[in-house]
Amino acid sequence: MKSKIVLSGVLSLCMAMLSWAAAPVSTPRMANGHPDLSGIWENGGGIDFLKPQKLANGSVCIAGCAGADPASAPGAVRPGLPPDRPRYKPQFQARVAELAAKQVQFDPVLRCRPPGLPRIGPPDKIVQSNREVVFLYEDVSGPFFRVVPLDPKATRNDDSETWLGNALGRWEGDTLVVDSRNFNDESWLTDDGAIHSKQLQVTERLRRVGDVIEYQATVVDPVMLAEPWVLRPRRLTRTDIEFGEPAPCIEQDLQHMVDDTHHTNPR
Amino acid sequence: MSTPLSGLRHAALMALLALPAAAHHSVAGQFDVTRTVKFAGTVSRVDWINPHTYIYVDVTDAEGKVTVWKLESLPVAMMRKAGLSRQDIQGDGKRVEVVANPARNGTAGLGYIVNLRYADGRNFQFGRDPSDKSAATE
Repeated sequence: MKSKIVLSGVLSLCMAMLSWAAAPVSTPRMANGHPDLSGIWENGGGIDFLKPQKLANGSVCIAGCAGADPASAPGAVRPGLPPDRPRYKPQFQARVAELAAKQVQFDPVLRCRPPGLPRIGPPDKIVQSNREVVFLYEDVSGPFFRVVPLDPKATRNDDSETWLGNALGRWEGDTLVVDSRNFNDESWLTDDGAIHSKQLQVTERLRRVGDVIEYQATVVDPVMLAEPWVLRPRRLTRTDIEFGEPAPCIEQDLQHMVDDTHHTNPR
Repeated sequence: MSTPLSGLRHAALMALLALPAAAHHSVAGQFDVTRTVKFAGTVSRVDWINPHTYIYVDVTDAEGKVTVWKLESLPVAMMRKAGLSRQDIQGDGKRVEVVANPARNGTAGLGYIVNLRYADGRNFQFGRDPSDKSAATE
């Protein structure tokens, strides 16, 4: 009888511990009830493949390490999902293919120009108030930000064509929907010559559950694309590591290029 | 001791290093990744910039003449992911042994870092040295 009581107590304690361990992180909310997306968000930055090894005596092995997967080296050809690319109308396909083949000659990002949207990827930091959401980015091309007003009557003092679009946000339930327009036509949608027109429209959806944001973007270009491009969703995880001053982008490589070897720009 | 299998591994490594074109980083468009140069000097400057960091190493010859090597390396985000800071690379002016891929266009004193070994024993490996025969015996 005594052993049954002890066993029951142990089982109850275990269930309580499991329940505590399995309890999901609650989603923080603003005073107005909307989820608070504020925070610093890791999305892998396109360099999840990099698996540095910390060794003895402060040594580090980044690539070519003993026992490492060659696919973890910077610039290695990695198996996995096929490239996420838009589908162009037939009259633009040859031009896109030409730009992809000669990327180093034409890619604006290789000249430290802004990457554009959605190429810049999900935001690295979000600061949210009741009237706006601000996206901050630490990008290879430099630091960028986007202000997303939540009031449709918000105005800007400059609506001219932009690299990252003029955004307007609204809530659909617990999902922040960001519509961006007013793009210039100087950026690429991807690394592979994916040009676009000034009629580009980008819609992003962000939904926070606990300490994770589900991020997804859809691209529409009625001039150039054969259909809407629905990008693969991205998963953002919250981190407490603040990013420091973003490094400046100062291009010094192109003068030494001897051929059109492609340059990957993971984000 | 080499074995037939280690020979295959070495061939695979050389094939990987020699792979050109699509989806590769543009390092191969600037530098000969099948060859390395080796020298020692002191780090005189670090440009902690994108798209690639640059490290300048002063190499002094027997007559006291200084040659400055300009060495390209990873973007800042990759350095940070590896836990490396600008100060780590600077090395406090102490001697550093360098292994680098030379420039394909023949520019003297220009390379892409494969390995840095500092006088205090710290070693930062950025790639596999194609001339490192020990890879064939693993």
